[in-house]
Amino acid sequence: MSRRNYLVLFRNQPTGGQPSPSPEQMQQMFAAYSAWKEKFKTAILDMGDKLKSEGRVVTASGVADGPFVEAKEVVGGYMIVSAESYDGAVEVVRACPAVHAPGASLEIREMTGARM
Amino acid sequence: MSTPGLVEHYFRHEYGRLVAVLARRAGLHHLEAVEDAVQAALLSALTAWVANGIPHNPDGWLFRVAHNHLLGALRKDHGHRQLLAGAPDQGADGGEEPAPPAFAGEVRDELLRMLFVCCDEQIPPESRLVLALKTLCGFSTEEIAFRLFTTEANVYKRLARARERLRQRDVDTQTPPLESLRSRLSSVHAVIYLLFNEGYLSTHAEHAIRAELCEEAIRLCTLLVTHPVGAAPPTFALLALMHLHAARLASRQDATGGLLLLEEQDRSLWDAEHLQQGATWLARAAHGDVFTRFHAEAGIAAEHCFAPSFADTRWNEIAELYAMLERIDPSPIHTLNRAVAVAQAQGPQAGLAALDGLVPPAWLDGHYLWDAVLADLHSRAGNAGAAERHREQALAAAPSAAVRQLLHRRLTRPAR
Repeated sequence: MSRRNYLVLFRNQPTGGQPSPSPEQMQQMFAAYSAWKEKFKTAILDMGDKLKSEGRVVTASGVADGPFVEAKEVVGGYMIVSAESYDGAVEVVRACPAVHAPGASLEIREMTGARM
Repeated sequence: MSTPGLVEHYFRHEYGRLVAVLARRAGLHHLEAVEDAVQAALLSALTAWVANGIPHNPDGWLFRVAHNHLLGALRKDHGHRQLLAGAPDQGADGGEEPAPPAFAGEVRDELLRMLFVCCDEQIPPESRLVLALKTLCGFSTEEIAFRLFTTEANVYKRLARARERLRQRDVDTQTPPLESLRSRLSSVHAVIYLLFNEGYLSTHAEHAIRAELCEEAIRLCTLLVTHPVGAAPPTFALLALMHLHAARLASRQDATGGLLLLEEQDRSLWDAEHLQQGATWLARAAHGDVFTRFHAEAGIAAEHCFAPSFADTRWNEIAELYAMLERIDPSPIHTLNRAVAVAQAQGPQAGLAALDGLVPPAWLDGHYLWDAVLADLHSRAGNAGAAERHREQALAAAPSAAVRQLLHRRLTRPAR
């Protein structure tokens, strides 16, 4: 089986409940959405590699299907892993100390290799 | 909410919780027996609780009674007792206490699992909604028929079709782990969205009944965002969209129940908590590489909710969002809405130009909205003849007295 490239995203877990936002904060939240939306208005896509829509989430307690997308989480870093399968990539990532940091999770996505 | 309302709420939601937990333990092929047992338990509670007072642990009481009803029914049938062995410490002899769900998380997971079961692709879409309303929201077939404006026979037929499909499933795929059901997520979104729209868009029923369907949709979607299986930007966008619409629900009617135009609505009546929830989930939805129809619709609702006034609404942004929605899900209704926004931003001629060349499909041609928009745009553009023709068609096609009154007020006042 040929080797494929996997992008590993380092994330922090979300931090519990949210207080009720003030009117100013709501305007900021709305502004964040408006800014994010802009990139979809035109057909210009990110020039990087595309991610497939499936993934795995690895935490200290186990492995689950992903992507586990939490808007509050922060992508702290990434690495590209070469492996023969998702399972192979999980094995590599499990050895990584970052997996065992409290509240941390890592997301693995296969890269298609197609440049946009 | 009045006390009877609260009681009814508690019983309906308890119905959903008990059905989900017991169906998981007994298997989906026993879904009907489970529902009968839960129904019987709730009826027993009505008499026992009135006579003896509410027990110390009402949830546990109901679980035990429903469990015993189910056990009796299954034992009578096939001696399927072992199917109910939900707890590992349950002995082989009868008479021991069944273990109720230990954690709130377990109940949440069972409700979610049932939601995903209802959204099985093998079940016809119109049956999915009915099955969800029955098993998760605890509505009777009569209540469902009333809320969906259809006959009880039709609801029964849809339910029977759904149950038939569930029975055909292999036993070991009947209660799959939640994670393996992830591929059904978009079907789950569609059912929640449909449930909400049945409540929000309906022009027939009274306000309280519509609001109830909206509440149920928000309740299910809130469960969904708390579990990894559903916690994704499209789900956040769907929840944001529903909260932002719900925020304005109360102000859409005047004191006599008549419908109000957006510009007539009292903005101080908008629900602050729904607005806060809507803003929070909208911000959380604004992540990732996928822009769904829920993102577009939540954005449109947010433009209205967070505009300082009707006059200061960003109509150009709304027109853009409708254009994005059209790209994701082409529909003449979206084009029609975009034309309204364009007309607000750039004048009636530009609005009419946006509709130029659009041939309405049969279901829209003759729909009051189509004629109402054209009547308004033509009237503002000074085309008196065309305006009058569309106005008459719109009034004739209005589906309810409330809508007819609204149109009358909107389309007979002097052009701006």
